Amino acid sequence: QSMSLSVSPAQTAAWRKQIFQQLSERSKREMDDFKHYEQAIEKSVWVKKGAM
Amino acid sequence: MADDKDVLRDVWFGRIPTCFTLNPDEVTEREAEAYYLLLPRVSYLPVVTDKVKKHFQKVMRAEDVEEMWFEYEGTPLKWHYPIGVLFDLHASNTVLPWNITVHFKNFPDRDLLHCSSNSVVEAHFMSSIKEADALKHKSQVVNDMQKKDHKQLWMGLQNDKFDQFWAMNRKLMEYPTEDGGFRYIPFRIYQTLSDRPFIQKLFRPVSPEGNAHTLGDLLKEMYPDALTNDGEVKRYQILIHGIEPLLETPLQWLSEHLSHPDNFLHICVVPVPTD
Repeated sequence: QSMSLSVSPAQTAAWRKQIFQQLSERSKREMDDFKHYEQAIEKSVWVKKGAM
Repeated sequence: MADDKDVLRDVWFGRIPTCFTLNPDEVTEREAEAYYLLLPRVSYLPVVTDKVKKHFQKVMRAEDVEEMWFEYEGTPLKWHYPIGVLFDLHASNTVLPWNITVHFKNFPDRDLLHCSSNSVVEAHFMSSIKEADALKHKSQVVNDMQKKDHKQLWMGLQNDKFDQFWAMNRKLMEYPTEDGGFRYIPFRIYQTLSDRPFIQKLFRPVSPEGNAHTLGDLLKEMYPDALTNDGEVKRYQILIHGIEPLLETPLQWLSEHLSHPDNFLHICVVPVPTD
């Protein structure tokens, strides 16, 4: 089996997989059921008004 | 395979669903309804609670409103800790949403610092970044930045602008390849049952023999009781941003990817829930 050279051992390490997996579980746990909640910080939309 | 940059985004965009209710002892002119918000884990309470303040002030007389502060199950919440740290430390094993009580009187001076405006939070945030850079690069990176660059870091956090923040923050995450990491890792270890606010000491990312230090190496040195020995029942969870990284995770990688915007790696040690 040949592996892509761009994948280093660190990228396939168990600790790294664990972090990705747990972050994904965290999103499900903390965010999936609460998408209808209001965001604390509004994303401002900049409207530029130029003088004519 | 996902990219490490995805971790930075996941960390930045972490949200905690929160239900704010007014302390029943506050004097109101009519009933105060609860207020629900998604709080950014990496921000600070005063920065993201303008709406909460406005909501409750609508039902109160101006003379009954003093400095706003927050409490969770009897514990006053320190605004100068990141929101995610407060949650992981005090509420990580409770049912969501996170129930926070809002107070407008009887400010607990013994437990909390006053915060009159967001400029106080900005000063605290920038001083943490400077302290972290002193540990990582002997302050060289932060001192080379201009005032507008410092402002860009703060504005990025305040306005939830990931790209704006990271365009500048990446400079604080660089190091010479031959060093294998920062000079020292900026970290703080929090524990629930302690008079000490947190553990913070000097710790290098690489051993004198040239081996990469791990999260386990750090805890063994700083807080060995937090670790589970062979044959023992696990007593503590080691939480960073609400997750439990494996103890073999390299500390330098954690510092680069799981630090808060203040450039510190905030590690919470909490008792394993018994039920």
